Amino acid sequence: MSRYLQSKCIDINSAYCPCILASANHCVFCAQLQGKDICDCNWSGICILYEQKWNARNDLVTAKPQRTEMECSVIDRHFITEKICRIVLDVPRAMAEQLRDPGSFVFLRRNVDPQYYHIPIGIMKVIGDHQIVVVAEAVGIKSLRLVEEDQTVMLRGPYKNGIFGSPWIDKLTNGKVLLIAGGMGQPPALPVAEKLTRNYNKVTAIISAGTTGFIVTQELQDMGVNIVTVDSLRRVGYHHFASLLAETDWDLVVSCGPDAQHSKVIDAMRNIGCDLPMAATNNNVMCCGEGICGSCTKETNQHQQIRTCKVQVDITDLKRE
Amino acid sequence: MASIVVVGGGWAGCAAAVAAANAGAQVMLLERTDLLLGAGLVGGIFRNNGRYTAAEELIVLGGGELIQQMDQTARHQDIEFPGHKHASLYDVVRIEPAVRQLLATKSIDVRLSSSVVDVVMAGKTITAAILADGTVIRGDVFVDTTGTFGPMGNCLKYGNGCAMCILRCPSFGPRVSITSKAGIKEELGTTTDGTIGAMSGSCKLNKDSLSNPLRKQLEEQGVAVIPLPAHLIKKNSLAHKACVQYALEAYAENVILLDTGHVKLMTSYFPVEKLRQVPGLEAARFEDPYAGGVGNSMRYLALAPRDNTLKVQGVDNLYCGGEKTGTIVGHTEAVVTGTLAGHNAVRQKIGLDPLLLPTALAVGDFIAYVGQQMKVPVGRSIRYTFAGASYFARMKELGLYKTEHGEIAERVHAQNMTGIFAARLL
Repeated sequence: MSRYLQSKCIDINSAYCPCILASANHCVFCAQLQGKDICDCNWSGICILYEQKWNARNDLVTAKPQRTEMECSVIDRHFITEKICRIVLDVPRAMAEQLRDPGSFVFLRRNVDPQYYHIPIGIMKVIGDHQIVVVAEAVGIKSLRLVEEDQTVMLRGPYKNGIFGSPWIDKLTNGKVLLIAGGMGQPPALPVAEKLTRNYNKVTAIISAGTTGFIVTQELQDMGVNIVTVDSLRRVGYHHFASLLAETDWDLVVSCGPDAQHSKVIDAMRNIGCDLPMAATNNNVMCCGEGICGSCTKETNQHQQIRTCKVQVDITDLKRE
Repeated sequence: MASIVVVGGGWAGCAAAVAAANAGAQVMLLERTDLLLGAGLVGGIFRNNGRYTAAEELIVLGGGELIQQMDQTARHQDIEFPGHKHASLYDVVRIEPAVRQLLATKSIDVRLSSSVVDVVMAGKTITAAILADGTVIRGDVFVDTTGTFGPMGNCLKYGNGCAMCILRCPSFGPRVSITSKAGIKEELGTTTDGTIGAMSGSCKLNKDSLSNPLRKQLEEQGVAVIPLPAHLIKKNSLAHKACVQYALEAYAENVILLDTGHVKLMTSYFPVEKLRQVPGLEAARFEDPYAGGVGNSMRYLALAPRDNTLKVQGVDNLYCGGEKTGTIVGHTEAVVTGTLAGHNAVRQKIGLDPLLLPTALAVGDFIAYVGQQMKVPVGRSIRYTFAGASYFARMKELGLYKTEHGEIAERVHAQNMTGIFAARLL
């Protein structure tokens, strides 16, 4: 598998492209839709300018419909710990379908709260045609309200860019993958492992309980993932990761957890001169998810500003803070 | 590691690769699509008017292998059509494998489906080209022969949209300019009214879609001129054509067809239902571009600033050929400029001064004159070709237009340049 990851907008080729950024001449991808004279895009098989003009020519709205908000019933709400809450929601079938890929997430808020209470939450799994499972950690003003005992919540989605390097996860078959996940990194790790094992990859996972306890180990085991559980990544897990990393010819490394964990993983790889493709959860603060607000913008080592809610990027290319 | 990396496998790129290989360098040729020759896959016309002189000069200069390849696959030689004398038409179906074979005999490392998307710079020097899949191709000297056509967003903005032409951008990715990726600001060609770009000047029809008598006439004579019904004549259609040598009234009043393997229709685009009102074309359909009823590709959207040795100004190790060198038209023009670019890339590699073609030769005057013209907006609103319009007029005026081989050989000899492109430098 190529080590190279093409930086591109995750929404290209979806029902949500061209988006409102394109109609405002701020497309993250198309040079012409940034107001430049001449084409200079990082080609992904589709011409966004074409789509945009074609829509306009046919008297359609210039930007395709944006994701709208919907009220969803809460089927189950279960506190795993005092602060960690597992919520099962009933969603329309079309929404559930679009949330199956690793890295999918939605914005949720209490139905009585204003829109700016939305928080982005990754999908842990889709059950059947209609149900999604998410895990929320009640730590801030928004998440504390979300876990309240309501019959419904407001949901906006689907969003896709929850994992940097997801093209690697999508492409790899018959490979060997080393996955590391701790605490709240476990829920997004589940769809990743599911996708990888479905494509005949052998996955070894180092899972740490963190503040949440082990919440995905049984399901990972059922998928055939080789699991190593540790109490603490800091004390044991990273050492274990480093020795496993050196032992085998891996094809892909996946880190699900906080940015500090990603940094440790990158350092461990650099220490032994290993330059594998690395997928990692996108932990950046997001408010709108549409590339508008700029709260998730990060700088790359090449001094490009990346709107991480939409743009796939090699995490090792992002400037460390 | 190849010492010379040529990016873009059209006529200019093939010529650059052949010239660099003949000079003794290790050459890699990177082509975005799965076929060499680019727009040359749907062209075919050469040796018409001043192109005859240029072709003969190039042969005497020792850089004529590709011209001879065209000669060998010609379907028709020494034919005449409105405004054009002693033209040859190579077979667009047979030429590509023949050229590929020639490149193989020269041990040129041809990489197809290899789209260059970026370059790595060290100061003002290109150290490597990056392919779309991330592969890094290192080299000493680079040649940009990526052309100026398309991609589809440009054809949409400045033309009638993607007409699905031989460049096949949706399948192989867009044209990417190495010059631009090296940080050099490029110029845009315009039409005389200031509109950016110019539309490719001809289409290909499927030969089997012609009436039997018309097909027979074409195969025997190479050319057919069919007067257009009065209601289909549109005289103002000529101004936007890239191929100025065919922007003549005869081309607005007639349908002019040439047999190049396919049937070359000397019009930028022609709505199918109107085309089918022309006698003999009742069942006509397009071969290239597929939407030839709607439009054609847009050109001259990436002109590199260059000197007369074809070195790109502002980059230490980059040369350019073909349309990158100016608003030029034609295979012969591409082969001439490509040959000089490839040859000079090798000279730079071994520390020799680059070659300047003297203006006493048509090929030298062409490169110098076009270079001069590219510096001013009005110059960029004109297209240049040995085959017609203003540059052919200049050739005649300066006495550069000759068709006697002996006379041309003597002229090259007088410049002490006979066989210069064939000499091994390392």
